[in-house]
Amino acid sequence: MNETENERLRALLQACARRDATAFARLYEATSAKLFGIAVRILRREDWAEEVLQDCYVNIWNHASGYSAGLSAPTTWMTSIVRNRCLDWLRRPNPEVVLADAEDGSNPIDAVASGDPDPLEELARASDARAVSDCLRRLEAKQRQAIMLAFFDGLSHSELAAHLHQPLGTVKTWVRRGLMQLKECLQT
Amino acid sequence: MNVRGNARLTDRLAAEYVLGTLRGRARARFARLAREDAAVGQAVRRWEERLLPMSAAVLEVAPPRRLWRALAARLRFEPAGRLWDSLGFWRNLGLVASGCAAALVVLLALRPSLFAPADKGAQTRQQQSYVATLADKNGRIVLLAYAERNSDELWLKKSGVQPVDASTQALELWGLPAQEGAPPRSLGLIPVGEKGTIKLAAAADQTLKDIPALAVSLEPAGGSKTGKPTGPVLYSGPCFKFW
Repeated sequence: MNETENERLRALLQACARRDATAFARLYEATSAKLFGIAVRILRREDWAEEVLQDCYVNIWNHASGYSAGLSAPTTWMTSIVRNRCLDWLRRPNPEVVLADAEDGSNPIDAVASGDPDPLEELARASDARAVSDCLRRLEAKQRQAIMLAFFDGLSHSELAAHLHQPLGTVKTWVRRGLMQLKECLQT
Repeated sequence: MNVRGNARLTDRLAAEYVLGTLRGRARARFARLAREDAAVGQAVRRWEERLLPMSAAVLEVAPPRRLWRALAARLRFEPAGRLWDSLGFWRNLGLVASGCAAALVVLLALRPSLFAPADKGAQTRQQQSYVATLADKNGRIVLLAYAERNSDELWLKKSGVQPVDASTQALELWGLPAQEGAPPRSLGLIPVGEKGTIKLAAAADQTLKDIPALAVSLEPAGGSKTGKPTGPVLYSGPCFKFW
């Protein structure tokens, strides 16, 4: 996401705050494929992702006036709305069902973890993700895997433990240390 | 857990909140705290800046068109809406051009080879065709479209169509249905270059049968993602059945 694009989205959000429906249509057009991709990846069901995304865009429309351009980039703001809504959605009873829901019976996480396509490769291609991508590469493999599964696929600590066949305390430590190392690396 | 005033704990929880591993009631409590306490809110935003760029690696998935329709209905507006859905709007644009268009259609009737590939059949067959003339807002005809009745190839010839930056923009061709209130249907993207073809979804006899007019809108590269025109309408004009 380059700066020009962010400026355009910022202007569209400001127009949405003034109740400009055409601006909203353009904002949707510019962002819905990415946000839908994020929701589908976390929720693993397109029907749920549709429901979540609809709520998110209603939120974006209703709270556009509360968006503060000085605090965060428009993509960051919208992405956080979608991710938070997805994670809330997974809080509903029996989220584990989702993990076993692949139609062919395979574990969808395995496909994701095997990297198809490799998120690190994808990250390296996206210029604004270069820094975090470089820092992720410097983490130990197990920390990196835990963090990426949590971030991209919305796995909780206990789901990570089950998936990685490790005690809960171990994956919690991996995640915590991984995050702190990322922070340090990003500061330099 | 007393988070307020404990910068280290705040930072740790903010990290896990943004990563997504902070769950359940703890997540809800922390979200509330982030709204109420400026320092906590700021810690969350810092972690969002650090981690959310990772989302660039997530593949885009175009949502189904019904999502936009549901959203527009729920928000009780038709974004970019009424304008596009109102056939009157399109027709008015078309009428401006109709004088010139009539003259042009006559020309086309006499010279269908202007469009048709040189080896296409006899004149009788060529005359069984659809012809549209699209004009800009000043009534100047800038785009001609021609399709043989049984062919799914729509031939286009431009003359003064404004160039677009193909890396970010596209010109999309729309068929405007006769029924009042029915949405326009995308026929495809206008190819780059002075002449070109659009592959229609089916033979012109099906695709253009009930289409009184065509229009071109400016869209992002790849065309409108909503299934409706979203950018400004640049050209429009009547579509004639020629037999």
